[in-house]
Amino acid sequence: MTTTATTTESTPDAQVPNYNPKSESAGAKRAKSTLFHIVALALTAVVLYPGLWMIASSFKPNAEIGGTNTSLWSNNFSFDNFVTAMEGIGGVSTLTFFTNSLILAVGAVVGTVLSASVSAYAFARIKFPGRSIFFGMMIATLLLPFHVVIIPQYIVFQQLGLIDTYVPLLIGKFLAADAFFVFLMVQFMRNLPGELDEAARIDGAGHVRIFTSIMLPLMKPALISTSIFSFIWSWNDFLGPLLYLNTPDKYPLPLALRLFVDQTQSSDYGAMIAMSVLALLPVLIFFLVFQRYIVEGVSTQGLKG
Amino acid sequence: MINRRNFLTTVAVGTASAAALAACGTGGGTSAGETGSAENPVTINYTWWGNDDRAERTRKAIALFESKNPDIKVNGNFTDFAGYWQKRATEAAGGGLPDVMQWDLSYLRDYGQRNQLLDLGTVKINTDAFDKSLLPSGQIRGKTYGIPTSTNAFAVYYDPAKLATLGIAEPTGKWTYKEFNDFLTEVGTKSKSAIFGSTDYTGVWWMFNIWLRQNNIEAFTEDGKLGFTKDDMKKWWNQTAGLRGTPAIITEERVTQLAPKSPFGSNVTATEVTWDNFMAGYLADSGAKELKLVPVPSDDPDNLGLFLKPSMLMVASAKTKFKDAAARFIDFMVNDPEVGQIFKTSRGVPASKTQRDGTTFEGTDKLVVDYEKSIEQYLKEAPEPPIVGFGTLEASFKRVSSDLNYGKLTIDGAADAWFKEAEDLIKQNA
Repeated sequence: MTTTATTTESTPDAQVPNYNPKSESAGAKRAKSTLFHIVALALTAVVLYPGLWMIASSFKPNAEIGGTNTSLWSNNFSFDNFVTAMEGIGGVSTLTFFTNSLILAVGAVVGTVLSASVSAYAFARIKFPGRSIFFGMMIATLLLPFHVVIIPQYIVFQQLGLIDTYVPLLIGKFLAADAFFVFLMVQFMRNLPGELDEAARIDGAGHVRIFTSIMLPLMKPALISTSIFSFIWSWNDFLGPLLYLNTPDKYPLPLALRLFVDQTQSSDYGAMIAMSVLALLPVLIFFLVFQRYIVEGVSTQGLKG
Repeated sequence: MINRRNFLTTVAVGTASAAALAACGTGGGTSAGETGSAENPVTINYTWWGNDDRAERTRKAIALFESKNPDIKVNGNFTDFAGYWQKRATEAAGGGLPDVMQWDLSYLRDYGQRNQLLDLGTVKINTDAFDKSLLPSGQIRGKTYGIPTSTNAFAVYYDPAKLATLGIAEPTGKWTYKEFNDFLTEVGTKSKSAIFGSTDYTGVWWMFNIWLRQNNIEAFTEDGKLGFTKDDMKKWWNQTAGLRGTPAIITEERVTQLAPKSPFGSNVTATEVTWDNFMAGYLADSGAKELKLVPVPSDDPDNLGLFLKPSMLMVASAKTKFKDAAARFIDFMVNDPEVGQIFKTSRGVPASKTQRDGTTFEGTDKLVVDYEKSIEQYLKEAPEPPIVGFGTLEASFKRVSSDLNYGKLTIDGAADAWFKEAEDLIKQNA
C-alpha cells in the first residue's frame, strides 16, 4: 500500500514539490500506526503478564513463590512441581482428573451441539402454536441466576439418586437447557435465506431432511462457536462438580486444583500452579485448533446480516 | 410420541416408584439405626476438608477402623475448605448431609440450631479422656453436637535466629501489653526497619477476644448478643495507636503485597500472634530452622485469657440411618491412640488424653504439644460456639482494622462501622 503511494507521488506530474499532502499524511499514518502498535503491545504485555507469571512460577521451588520473592525467573529451575502435580492427590492419579474433565467437556459439547441445534431449528423454522411464548420463556431462563436453582435442582437429583454421577452435570446439556446456545443458533438460522429450505421442500424434503442436509452444513460457524464455548465452560466449571460429585475418583481438574491449597495446613502453591499450567493446555489446544472457525463464523455472520 | 396423558402417567409412575424406593431405604430404622454384620456391612459416608497429606492420613485411619470393625465400611470423600461449606449448605438444604463429617467451630451453631446435626449425647461416645473445659465448645444449650478431635491454643510466635542477629533477648512470655509494644518497637528500630516487629495484633479477632477475657468480658452473651461495648473496642484499637506507621508494625500495603503468604512466613516480621497449629505452615514458608511459642501478653499476670479451642470437631448428620456406626467411627477417630499416631499434630494437638498419651511427638509436633502443656495452669473454660454469622463478623473485623492501618478510618469511625455491621447481622439471624 505505502509503496504504491510513494510511486504515484514521485511521478513528474506533481507540480507542487514544496508541499505534498499525500506524503505527510502517509508519515502521519505511519506515526499513528506505530503509536497504535506500541499501545497495543503494552496492553498485551499487561494482559499476558499473569500467564507468564504462572508459567515462570511453575518452575520455581514452592518457597520462592509469592511473599518477598519478586523476580520472575528462579535460579533454582526445576520440574519438581510438575512431578508433584502428576503424582495426584489422596491416591487419585492426576490423569484420572484429566480424563474426568475430558469426559465432562466432550459430553457437554456433544450434548449442547445436538440439542441446541435441533431446538433452534424448531424455533427458527417451524411455526408451531405458542412458539413466541416458548421462545420468550427460554430467553427468560437466561435471566435466572444459577444460584437460585441450585438447591431445587440438587433436591431433584438427590431424590432420583443421581448424586455422585455425571448425569446431573450432563443431562441439561442434552436437553438444550443452555438457553444461550439455543438463542445463538436461532439468531444464526434466522439469517440464513428461507429460499433454501423452501427449495428443498419443493423437492419433497421433510423437516429432518432439511435440518440435516441444508441447515446443519450452513450452521458450521455457529456450531463451532458453541462447541468452543461449551468446552471451555465445562472445563472450567467448579460449582457444578463440587455440588454433585462426592468421590474424589470422579473429580474434574478444577476441584483437584483447589486441593493443593489448604489454608489450615501448609499450601503447595508450586504444585497447584504446575497443575494449572497443565490444565490450561487442553483448552489452549482446543482453542488454537478451532479459533480460525470463530473468525470465519463472525465474518460470514457479518456478510449475511 | 408422548402425549399429555401419557406424560402425566409416566410422571405419576415415576414418583410412585421413587417413593417406594425411598420407603425401602428408610425401612427397618430402629433407635440405634441400621446395623451391619461382617458378611453384610453397612456403609457410612465420611467427609473432610484438607490437602493431600490429610487425605493420606485419613485413608490410613479409615483402613484401620475397617479392619477393627468388619461390620462397617467407611466411604471417605474430601474437598478444599471453601468448597466444603458450599457443598454442605446445599446438602443440608437437600437433606443429604453425609453420615459423619469433620467440622469447624464457626459453623457449629448454625447447623446445630437448624437441627441438621445429631445430638451426640444420645449415642455412645466415650468422652472420659477429654479435658472438661473443652467439651462445652461442642455444645449448644446442653446438647452435644460436636466432639473435638484436637485443640489449638493462642500464642506469640517468634524467630529466635532473627532476634539473636538483632541482639534482642528472647521473650519469656510473661509480659504486659506495654512490654510487648516496647519489644515490637525494639525489633523495628534495631533492625532499621529491615524487619518489622509484627503485624498489627489488634486486627486479629481472637487476640481481641482473649484481651476481653483478660478483662473478664465475654465476647458474646449466651443469647447470641455482643457482650462488649464500643468503648471496649476503641480501647483495644488504641493499644497500638502509637505503633501504627512506625517500624514496630508492618504497613498494610506491604501485607497486601506479600499475600497469599503471611508477613511472618515471608521473614518480614519477627513475631506473629495466632493459633499454635500454624507452626508447620510457618516453618515451611519461612524456611526458618526453628520457631518458638510464648503466651500472649496480659496486664493481669494471673489471667492470660487463654483457652483450648477445638481445631476441628467430629459431627454426625441428624438424618443418618446408621447412628450406631457413626458413633463408633467418631469414638474411634477421637479416642484411638493409633489414630493419634497417624495424624500426629496435623489436626492440632489430640484432644483426648488416651490419644495424646498414645502418640509420640517429635520436632515441630513436640514444640506445639509442649507449649500447650506449659500454659495448662492458665487455661480457662472454652467459650461457647461462636454466634451464627461469626465468620462474616471476623472478616469485617479484619477489614475494618486494616482500613484503620491504611488511615482510611479513625478509631472511632472503625468502631462505629464494625458495630453497625455486627448489629445488623445479629438482628438478621435472631
